[in-house]
Amino acid sequence: MPPVIDPALCKKCGRCADICNSHIFYFNRDAREVPVVRYPEECWHCDCCVLECPAKAITLRIPLPFTMLHVPSNTLKPRS
Amino acid sequence: MIPISARYDCDFAIVGGGIGGLMAGIAAKDAGAERVIIFEKCHPLRSGSGAMGNDHFRCWLEEEHGPLEDLVRQTLASPIGQVRDPLLLRQSLEKSFDIVKMWDEWGIEMRPTGKYEFMGHAFPGKPRPTLKYNGTKQKKVLTDQAKKRGVEILNHHPVLELFKQEGRIAGLLALDMTKEEPSFVLVRSKTVLLSTGHTSRLYITGPTPAYMFNTSHCPNNAGGQALGWRIGAKLVNMEIPYRHAGPKFFARSGKGTWIGVYRYPDGRPIGPFATKPDIYYGDITGDVWNTAFSDVLRDGSGPAYQDCSGATPEQLAFQRKAFFSEGLSAMVNYMDDKKLDPAENAFEFMPYEPTLHGRGIEINERAETSVPGLFAAGDMVGNGGAGIHPAAYFGMIGGQNAAADARNLDFLPLEENEQVQERMAFYSSFAERKVGPDWREANFALQQIMSDYAPAGPERVRTENILNAGIAYLEQMRQEMFETAIAPNSHTLMRLAEVIDLSDCGLAIMHAAKARQESRAYHRRADFRFTNPLLAEKQLNVFLENGEVKTEYRNKWK
Repeated sequence: MPPVIDPALCKKCGRCADICNSHIFYFNRDAREVPVVRYPEECWHCDCCVLECPAKAITLRIPLPFTMLHVPSNTLKPRS
Repeated sequence: MIPISARYDCDFAIVGGGIGGLMAGIAAKDAGAERVIIFEKCHPLRSGSGAMGNDHFRCWLEEEHGPLEDLVRQTLASPIGQVRDPLLLRQSLEKSFDIVKMWDEWGIEMRPTGKYEFMGHAFPGKPRPTLKYNGTKQKKVLTDQAKKRGVEILNHHPVLELFKQEGRIAGLLALDMTKEEPSFVLVRSKTVLLSTGHTSRLYITGPTPAYMFNTSHCPNNAGGQALGWRIGAKLVNMEIPYRHAGPKFFARSGKGTWIGVYRYPDGRPIGPFATKPDIYYGDITGDVWNTAFSDVLRDGSGPAYQDCSGATPEQLAFQRKAFFSEGLSAMVNYMDDKKLDPAENAFEFMPYEPTLHGRGIEINERAETSVPGLFAAGDMVGNGGAGIHPAAYFGMIGGQNAAADARNLDFLPLEENEQVQERMAFYSSFAERKVGPDWREANFALQQIMSDYAPAGPERVRTENILNAGIAYLEQMRQEMFETAIAPNSHTLMRLAEVIDLSDCGLAIMHAAKARQESRAYHRRADFRFTNPLLAEKQLNVFLENGEVKTEYRNKWK
């Protein structure tokens, strides 16, 4: 479930937890551990944690049901 | 009882740090207000539907559009204009370019092509009403401007309740959710502005019913209209459903940023407005016929696709840049990851579930609500229009007027207000209870009632019997929620408070829908199938008076 934090890159600053508009992260400021994605189902997939992370440690995994349905453009033509 | 961790007194309290709230803070300080505090549910840099960016700013420039009245008429005739009071539209458009110039000066990129250019959301051959801009830095710039002036911002402080005393606004109760354990913050304020954004999560999510947060606009804006409703502020246009449309199944706003043509599977355009990609006009079919994408599935002629394949490489590069300006980086990254090139793929679109977008609190030309001292701005306003330009304008006007009013007001005693104790005990009960439904259960329970008993057209209808049943079921659900729900920490209490607000909005919608005895736009009454011309120039208010829901028509303000 989104987002995915790379613990090897995370600097444990808590920026993602501070900035997330859905409050999905849990970050213990005293322990300064890698934030936990505590409420993943509340993610809006807005990308703000990805953009704000100073270590570039976060990626979004878009859930399978959010698939963007598409067809090759060249199939949009009259059928014989 | 949840403890009170802080008390504040201020001239002006702002609920929500979005475009409207930040502009209100900036304007109030410029107008001489002393202490101004923004209570922000999250963080103003990334909150609300403008969190990641926007790329269209509706505004009037005489050399582009001709006389102001022409653009007013054009806007009023469009789907987004039908719910507005002409007086407020005219007033906001008249000053819109002043805001553009101000934002440009502050560092928001209002001329991404090097000059002011109007693009998108336009009918072929007609004046283009929206300025193309790059809003990726808009929240940072506005936050910096607010802070520079001394506006205080309390992050992670959603507002639970407003209080009225002696007939006017007296203060508010906020939730401090900076810690796991919730605490209350009690605020006496001479004036208050609501700017909580538009409301999502009232209806079962259109694209993915199991994912409540797959919404076109910010899903954390949920029910702020109820804060005004509970103290008697009049709401307007609650019964007229708004449905956005966009990619299926990844819900995103920004359909005007795409430059393709909406086409049937046989390649024919679904609308009459575009036959090839055009960065200046786009295909406005999706604006004027939001439900086209489900209509063509119901009649068997679909699906309908957004097809950009006829665009030049330069146009596609322009569109890609514009996606970022609009805040769609997550969608672009997804498309890159899946190798979905718009030059070669057509994307199916769909209409999303109804939201309160430009439906809600009624304001006057001062941006003041029917409760003295309470102002409102942004997408939660029901008669001023939704989007960036009205949020910015009415936020600014509200801030100026609140600052002026506050100079002549004293603080009202809040501790003696019986409602303060009652509401603190009410919210504390959820934290004290150990077993019961959580906010998710409550939100799903609400969504299924709203989706079945206050549904939106064109495919679903309302009747007096259906609405009466819905009101009864919603009251039952609310009572059970009030008596049994649990919220073990500050996060879940915030969410449960949202659902309580949403359920108030649901009641307002149903009562207003019952009172509007005609069909209009996506409010379809099977027992009143016609659109009544006598109601075309009227607005329907719904509000609480001594605990009773009231409705009444008024003439549109010209």
